[in-house]
Amino acid sequence: MSASLQDEHLLTREHTYTSLSDKVGELALRPNGRLWFIAFVGSLLLTLLFVAGGGELLAKGVGIWGINIPVAWAFALINYVWWIAIGMAGTFISGALYLARQKWRSSLNRYAEAMTVFAVSVSGLFPIFHLGRPFFFYWVAPYPNRMALWPQWRSSLVWDFLAIVAYLLVSIMFWYVGMLPDLGSLRDRARTRGKQVFYGLLALGWRGEARHWKRFETLNLLLAGLAVPLVFSVHSMVALDFSEGAVPGWHSTMFPPFFVAGAFFSGFAMALVLGIPLRRWLGLSDIITLKHLDNLAKMMLAAGLFVAYNYAVEFFMAYYSGDPYEIAEVRDRLIGPYAWVFWTVVFCNVLTPLWLWSPRIRRKPAALFAIAMLVLIGMWFERFMLIVNSLFRPYLPSSWGMFYPTLWDLLFLFGSIGIFLLMFTLFVRWLPIVATYEMRKLVHELKEPG
Amino acid sequence: MSSLRIEHAAALARRKLGDATGPRFWRALEELADDPGFKRELIDALPQFSAFAAMDRRRFLQLLGASLAFAGLAACSGPPPEQIVPWETPPPGVTPDTPQFYATTLAYAGDVIGVLVTSHMGRPTKIEGNPLHPASLGATGPMPQAAVLEVWDPDRSQAPLYRGHAATWQAFAADVAMWPASFARDGSGLHVVSDRVVSPTLRAQREQWMLRYPRMHWYEHAPVAQDHAEQGAMLAFGKPVATRYHFEKADVILSLEADFLGDMPGRVAYAHAFAERRNPSAPAGMNRLYVLEATPSITGTMADHRWVMASSSIALFALELARALGIGADAPVAPGSLSAKQHQALQSDLLAHRGRCLVVAGGSQPPQVHAIAHLLNDKLGNVGHTVDYVDVPEDVTKREPLGALRNAIMAGQVQRLVVLDSNLVYNAPADLQLSRLIKQVPHVVHWGLYVDETAQLAEWHLPASHVLESWSDAQTDDGVASIVQPLIDPLYQGRSAHEFLALLMGEPVQDGLAIVQAQWRLQNPAMAWPDSVRTGVIAGSGGKLAQIDVRTDDLHGWSPQALQHGALELVFRPDPTVWDGRYANNGWLQELPKPPTQLTWSNAALISPQLAKERALANGDVVVLACEGRQVEAPVWITPGQAAHSVTVHLGYGRKRAGRVGNALGFDAYALRTSNQPWTVQGLALHKTGRSVTLASTQTHFAMETEGSKPPVRSLKLADFERDPDAAEEGDKTPPSIYPEQPQGEYAWAMAIDLNVCIGCKGCTIACQAENNIPVVGADQVLREREMHWIRVDRYYSGSAENPVTHNQPVPCMHCEHAPCELVCPVGATVHDDEGLNLQVYNRCIGTRWCSNNCPYKVRRFNFLQFSDLTTETWKAQRNPEVSVRSRGVMEKCTYCIQRIENAHIAADREQRRIADGDIVTACQAACPTQAITFGDLRDPHSAVNRIKASPRNYDVLEELNTRPRTSYLAQVRNPHPDLEDEA
Repeated sequence: MSASLQDEHLLTREHTYTSLSDKVGELALRPNGRLWFIAFVGSLLLTLLFVAGGGELLAKGVGIWGINIPVAWAFALINYVWWIAIGMAGTFISGALYLARQKWRSSLNRYAEAMTVFAVSVSGLFPIFHLGRPFFFYWVAPYPNRMALWPQWRSSLVWDFLAIVAYLLVSIMFWYVGMLPDLGSLRDRARTRGKQVFYGLLALGWRGEARHWKRFETLNLLLAGLAVPLVFSVHSMVALDFSEGAVPGWHSTMFPPFFVAGAFFSGFAMALVLGIPLRRWLGLSDIITLKHLDNLAKMMLAAGLFVAYNYAVEFFMAYYSGDPYEIAEVRDRLIGPYAWVFWTVVFCNVLTPLWLWSPRIRRKPAALFAIAMLVLIGMWFERFMLIVNSLFRPYLPSSWGMFYPTLWDLLFLFGSIGIFLLMFTLFVRWLPIVATYEMRKLVHELKEPG
Repeated sequence: MSSLRIEHAAALARRKLGDATGPRFWRALEELADDPGFKRELIDALPQFSAFAAMDRRRFLQLLGASLAFAGLAACSGPPPEQIVPWETPPPGVTPDTPQFYATTLAYAGDVIGVLVTSHMGRPTKIEGNPLHPASLGATGPMPQAAVLEVWDPDRSQAPLYRGHAATWQAFAADVAMWPASFARDGSGLHVVSDRVVSPTLRAQREQWMLRYPRMHWYEHAPVAQDHAEQGAMLAFGKPVATRYHFEKADVILSLEADFLGDMPGRVAYAHAFAERRNPSAPAGMNRLYVLEATPSITGTMADHRWVMASSSIALFALELARALGIGADAPVAPGSLSAKQHQALQSDLLAHRGRCLVVAGGSQPPQVHAIAHLLNDKLGNVGHTVDYVDVPEDVTKREPLGALRNAIMAGQVQRLVVLDSNLVYNAPADLQLSRLIKQVPHVVHWGLYVDETAQLAEWHLPASHVLESWSDAQTDDGVASIVQPLIDPLYQGRSAHEFLALLMGEPVQDGLAIVQAQWRLQNPAMAWPDSVRTGVIAGSGGKLAQIDVRTDDLHGWSPQALQHGALELVFRPDPTVWDGRYANNGWLQELPKPPTQLTWSNAALISPQLAKERALANGDVVVLACEGRQVEAPVWITPGQAAHSVTVHLGYGRKRAGRVGNALGFDAYALRTSNQPWTVQGLALHKTGRSVTLASTQTHFAMETEGSKPPVRSLKLADFERDPDAAEEGDKTPPSIYPEQPQGEYAWAMAIDLNVCIGCKGCTIACQAENNIPVVGADQVLREREMHWIRVDRYYSGSAENPVTHNQPVPCMHCEHAPCELVCPVGATVHDDEGLNLQVYNRCIGTRWCSNNCPYKVRRFNFLQFSDLTTETWKAQRNPEVSVRSRGVMEKCTYCIQRIENAHIAADREQRRIADGDIVTACQAACPTQAITFGDLRDPHSAVNRIKASPRNYDVLEELNTRPRTSYLAQVRNPHPDLEDEA
């Protein structure tokens, strides 16, 4: 009885204010571990691959990829949509659950927000790299110039640019502001001069005064209020990138909710994929409990069901519209040359998550990890299906053509995973990965209920 | 420093450096600086160098580097010093940015055509047809367009070579001076091989030379020539005559494998005449074309009835037809691949149109079939109406076959072999084994544009000047003569054929202009030289009508052998783009999708879908083709409409020494070709090798319809069209729009393309490429579907794969009024102007490619890599200065030749008038032999484009998307025989 009850808790009873601060603080201040070092070097190598790929790309042009006419967008845009969607969960956990006063968010929000910031940063690289002339990406921004040239406001890419920039800025602020009290506490615990200065600078003079706390809480609330609508707007915006086009398979008003659901889905999957190893390797199972995993899995299941519903509606709408090109597009999904992509997507995104109906599976970290990985893979292929399958057979059959990726395409995909992991390993090493002050609040509430 | 000396120094240095490139080049250069022997030689060549007696290394390297770099440039000195006469009288005070047009003549791919060359400050940049020349009538087609790329080809031979080492013309002249001593006075031992001679001046020079040396031999060797047609005329008439067809007068045309729109001499004018009768609303009515052929040709795709038949079986059909129409030839009973109904329909159609029908035999058919065609035309009363005969400019019966050269070499009689612009080591019939035998000739002299396979084996190689660099003349088959005038001084050390021959003959006058002028003064004293040069045609030239009497004697006893059941035949064809291989180094032509297959950069063995199924072959599978003990390996390409057991191979590939562009592409079909059976060989063996290659085709899907949508090419039968003229645009309705109309300017540019007369020759594609500086991307990029052509010619098939109906559709930018591309560009790089042009602003483009994804017609082209060559000097000179050269990362597409529109604006503004209809001719429109493309102003109610768009055949592609394209199409109308309606 007691063991299972224990699992239902968001925090083990033994934790006190001090034990929490000690535990999280020690994670940032202790010397490097071997495991961490391996992760760091591995992700650094992948990052270097990305850097090399970037060099080749800038030197030669996007022709090093497999894109062509008709499939003028492929891996870069797939990666972009995939990464930005992964960012979704972090803001949702820390923003929306904060506003909804969900206590279980406290142990997850810091690393989930970090995940958001890193994923959005990585995703933001792709729209720039994918340009034929990446050095002129800033022309998309409205900035005063001698030619009095403005962006072309009807283009979804302008809205998209603004949406990403706004989302990235707000996510960074939200994340950083939320970290201030913990940075202050790390500064106070730091034993070497270097670390004291490092955390001291980052803490921006946080002293924990009541005044500080008051302003801090207000700002946090405001930022959460800003971030939550942005989550929805940015993913709707990504969807409009496609909906705006007169391309069968893209030209659909249901894309914005569909993309938001997809973002939830992959975001929670990534939160699990990162949370489960953290829990194990950093010994955080008392802070990220099975209850947390269970909650995340439920969220993922809900999002997955909505995504599956969307797949079905797309087929329905194509046939219901009677438009021969829309029908041809969905038929190609089923039986065309890229049908294997669709069936991969169905397996990963529709069938696999059905295991999550089982409470036993939801509390098995290894199984959850595997399912979440499959969902991430499935969501990548879903974007492949959406982009490539809609483009490769345009209206005039004379222009039909297949897309085949090159090694450079793969390098950019895996390189981007490397950048993300590199940033995440550095985060795990140097910054407080759990919002300690919030957990202490939780200890307070658990000890003195009501 | 004189340029000649610099070049000599450069040649010396080059010889020492070998073919070092890159860092190795510079290291070699430094080593050279320390070589005292080289310094001495250099000082001999360039006395100036001796001034720097104690020249230090740095100074030496500077001078040497500079002279190497400038060696090519020094020769690039603008127009020649002689007076060349512009086509239009230049207005006083010519501004340097105004291009000028010069009339000249191109002998290309077995044909002669009069052209106007655009010259920008002395640089030839573009070729247009000469409206005054009867073989052009203002149009060109693909190959003449590409001559302008050839003249600027950096791989052209630049200097004389002696045994592969740089030499000088002086040294060659010294060598030539020794020749007569070895000729035994009468010229025995001297043998000359040339391409087919079409220049009257060259003919005269040859005659003169042969008079002086009666025992010399001159062979004319062209791998693709009209030998069978010439022999056929001999059989039918007993004397050599040239045939002139008048397709504009023919109601019914029967082609016996004659590709008169694709590869027959005179094709451009023939296409023009043929198209005149394809308009269903024309007063004379629409013609009907029957084609019998083994492999789909341009003419075949235009046929109302295309009957697929092995090439060897066509002769039997011809005999059968002759018998049926009462010509006394022995006629074995033909194995019937055609139904009695088809025979009946054809015969009745021909008989019903006596005097208004035409039978044409193709160059690939044996001479007897040509003779039968002549007899049929005579019998049907066509002579004097749809066909007439003119005297040929030279006696073809005196030609010596190349086999005689082989015998002479084997007998050891050939002391000196002079090869004039002929690549016989590569393209001579395989049974002659000349590539081996030529090594036994003590002295081989090669004169040509490239250091090709033959030049490699020659003792001397002498560079030829390009046709755009030389004075000469040329004469069409039917005798129309015109002058060739140079647009530019030779870029390198080339000399023209006349200059070269004058040198060989030791003539006192060795200047090309003087030689040609002297010849014409002699031949036609009344001729006005400036007029002839300006107009590009020599007035009054042209063969006289020949008196002919038909005879059937030579046909008696002729019994052709039909293709045995189950056996394979091999069919040779000139390549639709690189011809016999002479254009192998021409990137434009290599990348031009070949008419039957849309293949680029390679040839293939074309096989029928049936054969592919029988032998389990897929596109690109490599097979061994073997006949008569010779074999080659070739990839196959499954071609709808190919005769079941005919395998077609195109000549012109497998070159080893074509240049950087043309080396090692495709396979060499000459290896299977013999002098006796140049076009068709029965008894081919085909084995799979199990290997496969990927061939670069620009189109992978040939069926037209997405189920339930309207096909991009609308096609209907004449009877249906006459019953309901609006059938083509039935159900079309422009949907309403919530967007405001685009601003309306003074003009509204629009284009109409008549699919009924588009023959799919792709002259438009090349013309656009030349006009708009469109880069060549290479086979690997074509495989990645990144070709850059702004106007492509789509090819769709409908009907059965065994014998489909072909539909051609040129697709430029549609210039949509509601352009989807404009909506999605984030930086406004593609915008609309008030004249309805959809503009692309290269400077502003950042390369998101959203516009291309959103273009329903996929006419936008993206510079995925740096496709334009920005470093090679000659390419810089080749480009049209009125069009930006695009760098990587930007989108581009058809502009409706905006530079030509702007030129018309400027001219009209200056004269304070509106732009008149016809002032603007787009490049594609100008090149089109059938005038399928019309461009003009919709605001002008009387404009040609308005008139054409008023046709009931006019329709918009993908109208339901509400893009409101300015480019529209006229539906295709086919005119099948009423009894055979189900075929078309």
